[in-house]
Formats: sequence, C-alpha cells, structure tokens
Amino acid sequence: MHVLLRPIAAGVAIITVCLCVPRTVAAQEYEKWYKLSEQQFLELKQKARGGTKMTWDKLPDWTGVWTHDGGTRFDPKIPNYAPTSAKLTPEYRAKFEKKLADQKQGVEWDHLSYCLPAGFPRWITEPFLREFIVRPEEVWWINEQQSEVRRIYIDGRGHVPEDEAYATWTGDSIGFWDGDTLVVHTINNKEGQYNRGQPDYSDKVSTVERIRKVSADVIEDDITVYDPLSLVEPWHVVNRYVRVKTPNLRINMWSCEENNNVIKTQDGSTQFILKGETGYKDPNALITGPGGTQAPK
Amino acid sequence: MKTMFATLLGAAVLVVGAVHLSAHHSAIAYDRNADVELTGTIREFQYTNPHSWLYVQVVDKTGQTVDWGFEAEGPSTLLRAGIKVSLLKPGEKVTVKGHPLKDGRPAAILVSVTKADGSVLSSDAALRRGPGGKPIDTQ
Repeated sequence: MHVLLRPIAAGVAIITVCLCVPRTVAAQEYEKWYKLSEQQFLELKQKARGGTKMTWDKLPDWTGVWTHDGGTRFDPKIPNYAPTSAKLTPEYRAKFEKKLADQKQGVEWDHLSYCLPAGFPRWITEPFLREFIVRPEEVWWINEQQSEVRRIYIDGRGHVPEDEAYATWTGDSIGFWDGDTLVVHTINNKEGQYNRGQPDYSDKVSTVERIRKVSADVIEDDITVYDPLSLVEPWHVVNRYVRVKTPNLRINMWSCEENNNVIKTQDGSTQFILKGETGYKDPNALITGPGGTQAPK
Repeated sequence: MKTMFATLLGAAVLVVGAVHLSAHHSAIAYDRNADVELTGTIREFQYTNPHSWLYVQVVDKTGQTVDWGFEAEGPSTLLRAGIKVSLLKPGEKVTVKGHPLKDGRPAAILVSVTKADGSVLSSDAALRRGPGGKPIDTQ
C-alpha cells in the first residue's frame, strides 16, 4: 500500500470497526440465542421423532371459548408492578425500574391506547376471549382483542427466509405435534413489554412453547423466552387458559377504534377526553354523524 | 328533577371491592383510593370496545345537572359478569359507584350499579346482588 494511503486505510478501518463491531456483536449474540431457542425446538422435534403425523380424526379437541387465567401477568406467580422473575440484563433492569418509578409518580402509558396490537409474546397475557382453530396443517389461535389471529404452521415448512423476514405483531410461528402437545417456535417479533408493570423485551425475542390441554377446562402453555438483549438467561413460565362457560357467549369483531378517547399527555402519561370535550370521538357519530377532519378547500 | 339527586362522597367514605379493569390503557388517571357514589338517570350506555361507558345524569350540590361517565369493560367481559346491554336503559334511575378521575372531571371507573329493584350489577362477583339486594349465585 502506498504510504500516503495508509492513514486513510487506517481511518477507514477504525470507522468500519466503530460502525460494525456493535452490530456484529449483537448479531452474534442474537445468533447464539436464536440457536438456543431453535436448538430447544429441534431437540423437542427429534424427541418426538419428527412430530406426530396429524389427521382430522386424531386432532385434539380444543373447541370452545377460553380466557387467560391469572390476569395480565406473564409469569402468573408474580403480580404486575412487583419484582420480576425474569433475569434481566442491566439495561433492561434499569428500564424496568424506571417504569415502576414513573408509575409511582403517576406517569404510565401503554401503546395499546393508540389501538395498536399487543405484540408477541405479550399476546400470551392478553385478557378477554380466545379460540383455537385446529387443523392438521395449521393452528389458528384467535384473540378477541383486536380480532387477532396467530397462525402456527405445522405442515413442515420452515420460518420465512431471512432475506424476506421482518418483525410482525404476532411473529413467525412454526410447529409440530408431539402427541396431543403442540410445540411452537416463534421468531421475528416486534419489541414490546410483557404488560404494564412488567419488563420490556427486544425485537430479538424468540420463544418455544408447548401447548396442551391438561384437563377438560384448562389449556396450558409452557413457554421459554429467549432474548439476548433483555435476558441473561432464558425465562420459563407456564400460562393457563380456562374454559369460559357463559351461555350464548361468542367472539365478535373487536374494534379498538370504536370507542377510544384515550390520549397521551405531554409528560407521557394517560388521560381521557370526555364526552362533550373538544376532540371527543362520539361512538354514535363515527359512521354517519357530523364532524371529523374537514377537507381543505 | 324531583327523582334525581346526587351524593358525592369523599375519599375513603365507601369501602368497595378491589376493582380489576382489563384495559387497553393505564388506569393511572383514576384515583383508586377515592370513591364516588352518585344517583341519577341513565342518559346512555355505550356498550362498546375497547370499553363501555355508562353516562348518568346527576344533579350536583349546586343544583347543576352534570353528566357523569363511568368506564367499564367491553361487552364480552360485561356479559360474563351478567351485565347485559338490555339491563341498563336510558331514563332508568340508578345509583352508581366508582373510582373518580384524579383531576376532578366527572368520570370514574365503574365499580357497581344498583338498580331501582335493588339488584346490583358489577364485574366484581362479590358485589353482585339480585332483586331486593338478595345474594345470587355467581359464576
């Protein structure tokens, strides 16, 4: 190399290192953790000898209406706004502690108030009604809130190719049957929080679930969460869904925009616009009533 | 007007059950340690997602008519608690308990509604009562 080019080359090298090392380290770390969750998934698949071949007559009966048991806790043993059982990294520990401190000061916001989806794995804890649609090649797990459908492909396909993948609200889920247990691997999630008063997770989060009906009225989801940015070790929790027996109850279309008058305040907290106040969106006038933004003349 | 009256009670006057509101928003704007109990006439029951709102017209201490809004869960959760839309009709006289907004505006989280026949509607199973205030089987 020409002597005059050496400083330039050195500078380029330094800049390259500065720009690339953190990303490379994060990528390596993600790779390591992704491999951990993938490894657990593949080990379970191997143990199940590739998975149980499902036909219509062999499918377990998960019909009915269900709801999450234990409120909105991701670890049902731990209340919200209490020390978490997750082993958090220092960065996410600090974020969680700030969240709790802010809440004590009267400041709290939830992106659900923008009528956005909960996101996965928070989705596991969402309240209201659930339904499972079980087919030999696919399972749909329906959540009343936001009328969300989580599709779990069990037809032998892999995840979305890396060059086509992007983060989604319910992630990319593939699985197989091990007898009556549905084993699921989920990646490509958006960052979020397990719920209000609980820690956050990054968009590098992935999960392995083992879902099975443990009694006539209980479906259990055994979950291990992997997240290299927020956890120092995988987080294992067990969530349960109980049968709802209210007569005539059905899951209907659920629109968050139907009656949402929640706003974010200047300090980042939550407030309401009440009926009669400026900016109130009257649910009776959303479709046919007057008002709304005027088109420029 | 004669049939309407309002009673606004201060903090800690009432002892009501712990309220769990499954919400798409933080409950930080409400004062969970304060309670209101108001009697008035139902103006509207918005049986909607993500939340239902029961609007009750009351007369405050100064004689002014005020519409109070009580926020409740969405329809499926209310149905599970036995609160059908047909049970709370405009024009009906009710007594409503709730936890008010911290900023003093006329709104609260709904705790319970007592109808003229003495029955009590609530998401909290421990508070529910049948006609005449008699205990009922809760599911």
